[in-house]
Amino acid sequence: MLKGLLLSGSLVTAWLVVQGVVFHVAAPRKAFSSMMICFAPTVPLYLILYAVTSADLGVLSSRFVGADWRLGLLNGLAVHVLLFLTAGLFYSHADRSITVRLLIELARAPQQRLTLGQMQAMCGVEVLMQDRLDIMVRNGFLTACGDRFTLAPKGWIGGTVGLVARRILRMKAL
Amino acid sequence: MKGLVLAGLAFTLLMAGSVVALRFYTGNKEFKVFLGAFAAAVALYAGAFWLAAPDLGFLPASWRETSPAVDFGNGLLILALVFHGYWCFCYFACLSPSMSVMVALRARGARGMSSAEALAIHGSDQPVNLIFQRRLPKLLRGGYVREEPGGYRLLARGGRVAAFGSFLKRLINAQVGA
Repeated sequence: MLKGLLLSGSLVTAWLVVQGVVFHVAAPRKAFSSMMICFAPTVPLYLILYAVTSADLGVLSSRFVGADWRLGLLNGLAVHVLLFLTAGLFYSHADRSITVRLLIELARAPQQRLTLGQMQAMCGVEVLMQDRLDIMVRNGFLTACGDRFTLAPKGWIGGTVGLVARRILRMKAL
Repeated sequence: MKGLVLAGLAFTLLMAGSVVALRFYTGNKEFKVFLGAFAAAVALYAGAFWLAAPDLGFLPASWRETSPAVDFGNGLLILALVFHGYWCFCYFACLSPSMSVMVALRARGARGMSSAEALAIHGSDQPVNLIFQRRLPKLLRGGYVREEPGGYRLLARGGRVAAFGSFLKRLINAQVGA
């Protein structure tokens, strides 16, 4: 298993470096698509590297080698995909968090102090919702027709998932 | 493989436990429910790993990881990564403003919704809209900001989060004020 974990870890590290460069050089409008495009080649690369390298990678001691290679391959692949999803969620936290945005605005304000009105003007629902509606239209979840929005098929699936999750989880909006 | 099987079982119990706990939890700090469920799942996983036989009574010999430490660590890593995804999914599905719009639009069908109606879902017509009603009390109680006559002031703890947030945004080249 360790072989798959090391290969996956190395490839994910390399991808993070490349992705960081892409974010700074190209500033992609569709960040998650850019992450998918950059990450996708690492999956076949992982499979190739797993196939062509020795079971001990030339560095592992014998006690870390021995389990069925197919299990190690699949386990490493699962970790590889999970690390990508975690990185995507990390991006989402850093980019979209309302609380962090609010604290940053407070930190930048004179004397680090804002009135409620100023906070709402900077990070309130009006600012946030326009931003989110634009993103959902751009990513194909909503269709805009004048000032009205309707669900695209992707958005309908999203709304259904949300509805089911809300019925099961009972988390409170307030 | 033993670690993977036990991590799968622990995660199944974590999901079931958190769903049940959320039905009885009356506060608005749901993260405590999730973290509590995760801590219980990790304890359960570690206990079961320690107590159970290396082959769990059914695993073939070739599926047994030769190093118990790697087996345990691998299971724990996957449990943590899957839990993080589950936690984020729950928050996004239940609390995200974007998801609220999609759920509301699904109920409305072809009628759709205007920007003003999307804003109204989040209490834009109220003096303190829903986004702030949820977050400000938590920031006050957590010692991130202090309420002063006519406004709010950032405290040292909030300043550290803001600095870290700015650093992350620079890392991904996101607009710092966005």
